[in-house]
Order: sequence, then structure tokens, then C-alpha cells
Amino acid sequence: MHSLRRLNVYYWRYKHLFIPGLLCAVASAVFSITVPMVVRQAIDSIPRFVTTYRAFEGTPLESYVYADAFASLATFGAIILVLSLGSGLFSFLMRQTVVVASRHIEFDLRNRLYHQLQTLSHDFYLQHATGDLITRATSDIEHVRRYIGPAIMYTTRAVVVIIIALSVMFWISPKLTWFTLIPMPFLAISVFFVARMVHNRSDELQAQYSDLTSRVQEALSGIRVLKAYAREESEAEAFDGESSEYRYRSLRLAMVEAAWRPVFVTLVGASTVIVVWVGGSLAMTGEITIGNIAEYIIYVALMTWPVAAMGFVITMVQRAAASMTRLNEILDARPSIDPSPEKGTLQLDSTAVEGRITFKGVGFVHPNSGVRALNDVSVDVPAGTTLAIVGRTGSGKTTMVEMIPRLLDVDEGVLEIDGRDIREWPLESIRSAIGYVPQDVFLFSDTVANNISFGRMEAVTEDVHAAASEADLLENIEQFREGFETLVGERGITLSGGQKQRASIARALIRKPQILILDDALSAVDVNTERTILGHLREHFGKRTVVIVSHRISAVQDADQIIVLNEGGIIERGTHDQLVEQHGFYASLHHKQQLEQEVEAFE
Amino acid sequence: MSDQKKQNAGLDTRLLRRIVSYLMPYKGWVLLAFTTVMTAAYLGPLIPKLVQITIDQEIVEGDLEGLQRMIMILFAILAAEGLLSFVNAYLTQWIGQQAIFDLRTKVYRHVQRRSLRFFDTRPIGQLITRVTSDVESLSQVLSAGVVTILGDLFKLIFIAWFMFSLDWQLALVTISVMPIMIYATFWFKRKVRDAYRDTRKQVARLNSFLQEHVTGMRIVQLFGREAEELRRFDGINDDHRQAHLKTIFYFALFWPMVDIVATIALGLVLWYGGISAMAGGVTIGVLIAFIQYARQFFEPIRNLSDQFNTLQSAMAGAERIFGLLDTDMAITEVETPAAWAEVKGHIEFRNVWFSYDPETDPEEDEADWILRDVSFVVKPGESLAIVGATGAGKTTIINLLLRFYEIQKGSILVDGIDITKLPLETLRDNIGLVLQDVFLFSGTVRDNVTLRNPSINEADIRLAADAINATPFIERLPEGYDQDVRERGMTLSHGQRQLISFLRALVYDPRILVLDEATSSVDTETEEVIQQALETLMSGRTSIAIAHRLSTVQHADQILVMHRGVVRERGSHQELIASDGLYRRLYELQYKEQEAA
Repeated sequence: MHSLRRLNVYYWRYKHLFIPGLLCAVASAVFSITVPMVVRQAIDSIPRFVTTYRAFEGTPLESYVYADAFASLATFGAIILVLSLGSGLFSFLMRQTVVVASRHIEFDLRNRLYHQLQTLSHDFYLQHATGDLITRATSDIEHVRRYIGPAIMYTTRAVVVIIIALSVMFWISPKLTWFTLIPMPFLAISVFFVARMVHNRSDELQAQYSDLTSRVQEALSGIRVLKAYAREESEAEAFDGESSEYRYRSLRLAMVEAAWRPVFVTLVGASTVIVVWVGGSLAMTGEITIGNIAEYIIYVALMTWPVAAMGFVITMVQRAAASMTRLNEILDARPSIDPSPEKGTLQLDSTAVEGRITFKGVGFVHPNSGVRALNDVSVDVPAGTTLAIVGRTGSGKTTMVEMIPRLLDVDEGVLEIDGRDIREWPLESIRSAIGYVPQDVFLFSDTVANNISFGRMEAVTEDVHAAASEADLLENIEQFREGFETLVGERGITLSGGQKQRASIARALIRKPQILILDDALSAVDVNTERTILGHLREHFGKRTVVIVSHRISAVQDADQIIVLNEGGIIERGTHDQLVEQHGFYASLHHKQQLEQEVEAFE
Repeated sequence: MSDQKKQNAGLDTRLLRRIVSYLMPYKGWVLLAFTTVMTAAYLGPLIPKLVQITIDQEIVEGDLEGLQRMIMILFAILAAEGLLSFVNAYLTQWIGQQAIFDLRTKVYRHVQRRSLRFFDTRPIGQLITRVTSDVESLSQVLSAGVVTILGDLFKLIFIAWFMFSLDWQLALVTISVMPIMIYATFWFKRKVRDAYRDTRKQVARLNSFLQEHVTGMRIVQLFGREAEELRRFDGINDDHRQAHLKTIFYFALFWPMVDIVATIALGLVLWYGGISAMAGGVTIGVLIAFIQYARQFFEPIRNLSDQFNTLQSAMAGAERIFGLLDTDMAITEVETPAAWAEVKGHIEFRNVWFSYDPETDPEEDEADWILRDVSFVVKPGESLAIVGATGAGKTTIINLLLRFYEIQKGSILVDGIDITKLPLETLRDNIGLVLQDVFLFSGTVRDNVTLRNPSINEADIRLAADAINATPFIERLPEGYDQDVRERGMTLSHGQRQLISFLRALVYDPRILVLDEATSSVDTETEEVIQQALETLMSGRTSIAIAHRLSTVQHADQILVMHRGVVRERGSHQELIASDGLYRRLYELQYKEQEAA
């Protein structure tokens, strides 16, 4: 229950809705609980009218008595109607305030959650499956909302109804009331046990729902692979397994819920029968009237829903608490990359970044796998120069470049930007100075233009065109039927790999960044296109720091310095010419690529 | 207006009938559920009737013994009703869950087997919603829905029957408020239906947005778009809230209205009943029974409209699910597939025309063709390399060979058989594919290699891993083959993922091997190892490779030079160099670059 405390601030924020709303709940309850009293009066008056009427039967007063009875009974009817109109009006207002407020809080909470998700670093996303995060942002928030709105509304109303009904009942006949209440402890006990079972079992069900969602999500994202390997049937069977587990857990929950209602209805029904039984005996001795029996029957009926609601409310609260715990897990997560400067207080905007990058004895171990990715890496990249990184698969190239925009933080050593520890810079200024083209292209399901201008919001059409042209994508886009307004499929799948990669490059270039990072970003484009793009980039040499990771000599040979990584450490460094002289890894790489060409040329 | 109403109603019953059809396999159980619900529907209204008898015959007469006898009967009926309700409630849930299981697996299979064209244009979040929450919204209808609705209808009939048998005039007076009730319910039904449709749309939008942004979160962060994306999220979240607020309004209006109508009936009973009592027609017991009936009578109506609510949301969900099931964009499989006795690996493209827009008219020249009149033959065991600028249509050729898309004109033949005449599974079983976008599933390295195919044994995997020299990297992982790669293989580098996808292709041991730019992002050292492995692998297999680097295609028996969807040149490396065309230009470009270094 502790987890729900976080919500208090929201109650306070919407107090202008909650306070009148709960007052309306009270008013509505008071109106509806008054109805049975009027009914009792009406019923008790009937024998009196009958007696009076019989007494005056045949006399001239007969029609007068009849009219009086008619009017009195009509008045009772009218009062009941007015009471229920009042109850209805306030119940309308109650829903329009409390439930509406719960939707407002849901809105705030979800915004807050999404905002938090945006601040969390990469490692958080490694630990949480996408489907799971989405479940939290949708159904967990919905559970919490039900607690905020309906649960509180029902509780207020139930408490008022029960208190008033019991007071009146005790006032009429304590004995009858005690008897009527005999089934209530059983009701309370069964509510408690049922609610707990429902809670546990629905948790299990919820967990399975998450698994099911994740399964679908993954299978559909990898549909190409599934299809290519004709694994659809086995995947469908695996999905059957998940569905069947879901069915099993649903039925476990259904068992409890199915028992709950009959038990409840029977116990309430027992109350009614007891009223007739005990009330009947009492009426025979004249202790109460028959009208009282009718009144009690209505009270029991009126109390039915509030007591039932209490059962549901307990479940709602428990569910909400569990969901809130899951939400708090996200809300309390600290980004492992601290966005605000630790030491010193640099308050610089992006233009202040000049672009010098210095790795000083940097080491890094992957937190999840424990694999050491970098070991004592030192390199200085003066502003405006180009660094190229080559090396085998898994040698740590990507890890190294991911440190520059602080997707990862160094474990050992220091990474400096313009001679200052990167952790002293505000994260925002560092990132806004960087144009990053990741290895895996990710485009949003939006238009080509919006995907490119994603890099710079205030970009105008000319900027988008310029960036597209610099990334050698303009010609392709102009061939699309809708040009820049062409929609890209969810993962940009209607574009070819090379087109996606170039869109991703354009997105980085439109930022006119101080530091440009290309992580194997030209792998899917052909040599011709690569040359064009590199040619465009050269125009910015001296003004922009470029870090380029590639396997192709052609892409790295013009760099001011080239480093060769192997198992997380630098094994060679220098310019292309120097490295070729060194007869090491780079030279052999170069030699091999050159030799292949020569051999073929001589054929 | 009335026309539209009729149309809506027509749609409802058709949809409903279709939903109910999923219960057919369980009709025996449904019948049992009906029996229990009917009996319970009779026992419920019986109680006020017995209470009336108790009051009029025992209490008013002062017969204490008779009172106790009646009370025992009442308790027995209560217990029976409770037991029957339990059996009924569980049974309906059981039936519903069976039907939901059937529907869910059906929808999933349907989605999964559709062609890639379908996946290209739809956000995955939307499809997930179909399989999960849309199906879920039907569960109420399929479980409680139908049986409970009939149960409530019969409860109404039984109550009416008891009322009329007690006093037909008073019964008429009580029922006189029915039209208001029905009108209110229908008004509500119409409003809520529209509101729910909007709500569900907003929920789907919210899901899509979250799905995409959680997946692409690092891009959002790298480009400092947090503020802007939060603003967009705020907008979608607000639309979602507005849609819900509208439904709250209708609910807030509806519930009190039902209550007021019920109370009007109570007032009428007291007034008319009181007057009749004076004339001696109505006893106190009858009056009290009617007070209970007036309440009981509206409970089933309320339940029915409640069922309408779930029905509403179910209808919206059902419309979308059936919409999905009805538009079958899956590749249609031929009913009597051709026999493919011996898989040799002969591939032929015969005048193939293709556009991603399926509506493209083959006769129209201006159309958006990705491939125009492409023809080539690859003999068994031979290798074909496809080169060309990006966007030339290279990947498309592979997609078409695997029949991910249907072509508009021409034909594709494997061992002389048109691929449209072959079962998809057979076709794809014999083609090994390595994609440029390596996709890994959550699970271990082994799972990703075998794709959980139990027929692939450990020895096959190790042999293949040795062949492409992937063993050292896998053994370096803390848990080797049992290393969990996490969602989409995020813990592995791109090259490592590539190696796993190579392994995947190798262990499946296909007759035809297809490589889509796969070697381009593996470094030269690794690539050399793979190159050797591929050479051994390719011997005896037909292969089609797309690579940007000429060195990887020079060994090919045949090279296809693609340009804007057209085959511009073809031949061996030497022939193409000699012919002084596009290939030679591409080649010299790379050569000169190497020389300049």
C-alpha cells in the first residue's frame, strides 16, 4: 500500500474536483437512503386508510376519505420521486467530478512516466522488454486510475449508506437488526479471502498477458526471419502454448470470481429471509409494523451494492498497489548517466563545444554480460580533425563511439570534451553538439521529411533538402511518388537498407553538428555513394570533428588519425601512410584489399 | 437517420452472430449453461412470491409454525440458486476462455501468414493490439455475454409472469415505465458505441507511439528530441483522455436515469397499490412482493444494458478483428501444389515486373516499377552476384524469390516449377537467407541459431560454427551458446549478430543460399573467414549474393548489374570488364581509389 502514497500529490492537485465530488457522493447517498423511510410510512398508512374507508363506507364522507387517501398516497409517490431525482443529480455530479479527476490524474501520471522513460539510459532498456514497459504505461496506469476514481467514489458512498441505514435500523428494532446482520461477518470474511485470491491470481494473469504481448511483439518484429526460415508453424505453436497458459490462469481466476457472486447473493438473500422470519414474528407480537418489514427489505437491497462494492474496492486497491509498485520501479529508476554536471557547473550552450575529444586511459566492462569491451584506450582528437577506427568484430569500436554522446559512461579513465571531463558538461549541450549515425538504422513511421528534420526541429524545407542532398538521398526521394512526404513503414522497411542508412545520415547532418559520428554508417551503401557522401563531408574538414568507424579502407584513409582496436585496446595508430608503413593489422587489411584488386586487374 | 440506425442494427446482428459462431464447438456445454441459468432465473423471482405468501398467509394470520416452514423453503431455494449461479458462472467463463483461445490463435496465425506488404504499411503496435486487447474485449461477450443475456431475458419474463399472476393491473402500472427505460437504454447504447470506438482508436494510437518510442528511445535521446516528443505524447495522451471523458459523461447520465425510472415504478406501486388495497383487491403481502419486483425487474434491464457496454466495446474490437480476418492479403497458396521431387536448385526469373503498390496496372508504363522485365537463370550449384547502386532493386529480387511479395507480371521458377505452385513452406525450407538487418529474438544464442527447431542438434551447430570461425567469439561469451542475447540482441555487436545469422543459415543446410549485403559490415578479417566458409558451403548449392564490394562477387559464376530495376549487364567478371560498361565503371572506381591510397 505504501506505493500508493505517491498519488497523494495528485489528489491535492485536483482537490477542486475531489472535494465537491465526494460531497456529492454523500448527498446522493443520503437522498437514496431516505426512500425506504417514506415507503414504510406509505405502507403503514394503507391499513389506516382501509380501516377509515371501511368506517365511512356508504356515508357521504366516503368520497372525501377516498380523495384524501388518493392524495396522500400520490404525495408519498411524489416524495419518493423527488428523492430519487436528488440522488440522481448528485450521483451525476459525483461521476462528472471524481471519475473525470481520475482521468486527469491518469493523464498526468502517464505523461510523467513517459517523461521519465525519456531520461533513462540505454542500460535500463536492456533490462526491460519493450512489451513490458508498454503494459506498465497502459494497463498498470489503468489499474491505478480505477483506484483513484471509482474505488474512492464507491467507498465514500458505501460508508454513508451503511452508516445511515444501520442507524435507522437500530433505532427501529435492535433485535431485528442484529438478526439481519448475522450473515454480514461471513460476507466480510469471504470478501477478504476472495479479494486476496483474486489479487494473486490476477497478478499471475497479468504477468502472462505481458509475456503474451512480448511474444507477439517480437515475432511480428522479426517476421521476415520467421518467414524466411519457414518457422511460422513452430512460432504459432509456441504462441498456442502462451495462449493456453493464459487460458489456464484466466480460469483459475474465474473459479474464484464465479464463487464470489453466488456466495454474496446467497448471504444477502439470507438477510432478506431473516428479515421476513424474525420481522414476521415481531410483527405478530406487534413490536414492529409490516411497513417496517418492507423498509428493512429495501435497506438490505440498498446495502447490497455498497457492501459488494467494498469487496471490489479491496481488489481494486490491491491491484492498484501492485501496479503502482511496478510504476514506481520506473519512476524511481535513476538514469545511470547523470544528466547534470557532477563537478564544477558548466552552464554552456551547444555552440560552446569546440569538438576536441580526448580519451585518457578509458576502460569499460559491459554491465550485463561482464565482457570487457575497452581497456586503457587513450587518444586525442583535436577539434576539426577526423578520427577513424578500424578493427575486428567485437573489438570495442561501437562501445568507444557510444561514449561520446554518453550513451555509455566510462568505467575507468576519463573522457574529455574540449579538455574537460565529459561528466562536467550538461548532457544536453554535449548531445546537441553531436550528429550520430548509429550502426542500426532506426526510422520512425513518419514521413521522410519528418525523419530527417528529426535531427533539428526548427529546420525549414531548404535545410531538409540540403541534408538529403548531402547524404546523397535527394535523387531517391524525388523519385518517390510523394517525395519528402512519403511515409516510411514502421521500421522504415519500404526503403532499401542503403536508403535507410542515408536517411539516418541526413538526420545527423541537418544538425550541422560540431562532432559527427558515423558508426559503420556506410555499410549498406555502394562505393559510389560512399564516395559522394565522403566528398560532401570533406567540405567540412577543419570545421567539424568527425569520428568514423568502418571496415573499408576507402572510407578511412583520409582521416587525420586512424586507430586499430583489438580486444578493447589500441594496437596501432597513425595516418594511413604511417600505418601502411607499420606492416601491422592495418597494413595487411589494406594490402589484402589492394591485392584483391590488383590480382583481378591483371587477369 | 433511421436508415443509418437500421444499418447499424443490421451490422450488429451479423457481427454478433459471427462472434457467437466461435461458441459452436462447445454447444453441449453452452446448452448446460443455459439450463443452469434458466433454473436460476426462475428461482430468483420465486422468492418475492413466497415472501408474499408468507406475509399474507402466515404473518398476518399469526401462524408461527407456518412461518417457520416457509422460511425453510426460502433458505433451500436460496442455496439452490447460489449453487446454480456458481456452476453457471464458472461454466460460462470456461466456454468463453476456450473460444477466446481459439480466436486468439486464429488471429495470430492469420496475421503471421500475411505477406510482407502488409507488415510494411502497418505499425506493429496496432497488430499487437488486435491479437491481445481486441481479442480480450471479446472475452466478456463470449463467456458471460450470450448466456447471461438470455438468462436476464428469461428473468424478465419470469418476473413479469409472477407479477401478472399476482395482480395484472398493478403489474401493468409497474411495467408502464418500461418505454422510458428502453428509450434511455437505446440512447445510451448509440452514444456509447461511438464513444467507445473513439476510445479504442486512441488506445491504439497511444500503444503505437509508446511501442515506437520505447524501441527508438536512444535516437530520441541522441537527437535531444525529448521535449518535442513529450509534447507529441502529451497531445496523444490528451486525445485519449478526451475520448474517455466523453464516455464518463454518458455513464454519469445513464446510471442515475435508470435509478430514477426504477424509483418512479416504486412510487407508482405504492400509490396504485394503496388505492387498490382500499378496494380490497391487493394485500400488504402483494404490495411488498411488488416493491421487490419493481427493483428486481430493473436489475436484469440494467444488466442487459451493462452487457451492451461490453458488447459495444466488443463490437468495436470485433469489427477490427474481423476486418483483419476478412481482408486476406496473405500470399495465396495453391490448392494442389506441384510436386518438387528432387530439389536441384535451378532458379529462373522470366520477365519479372514488380511494384510495391499491388494496384499497379501491368499495362501502364509510367507506374512505380521496382523491377522491370528482369530475367535471369541460375543453374544448380552456380552462384549469381547482383551488383548495382542502392535502390536498384537488388533486395527486391531476393524478396521475390522467397515469395515475400507477389509479382505483377512474369514468372519465377525453381527447378522449372513456378513458385506460386509450390507450398510456401517447401519453397522457403530450401532457401537459406542472410539479411542485412540482423534480427535476433530474445533467448539464448542457441535459440537464435536453431530458431527453436528441435531437429537441429548440437553437433550441427558446432560444426557450422567452426566452419565460419564463429566458435572463438561464442566461447568468449560468459555463457557460450546459453548466453541470453536479450531483446533484439542488444548486448551483442553488429558483427557478432551477423555471425549468428550466418550460423542460422548454415545449420538449416539449404539447397539455395541467399545473402543480402550480409558481408558488408563484417570486417575484412572475419569476412575472409566467412568467404572461405561460404565457398565450401556454396559448392553444390545454388547461391545468390548481393554485395557492394566487388571482391566478394568476383568469384561468382554470373554477375547481374542492376540499374533502376533493369538488368543492365550480365556475365562473368572477365566478360563484364571486357565489355566496358557500367560494371567496368564501378570496378575502376574502386580500383582507382585503392591505387590513389
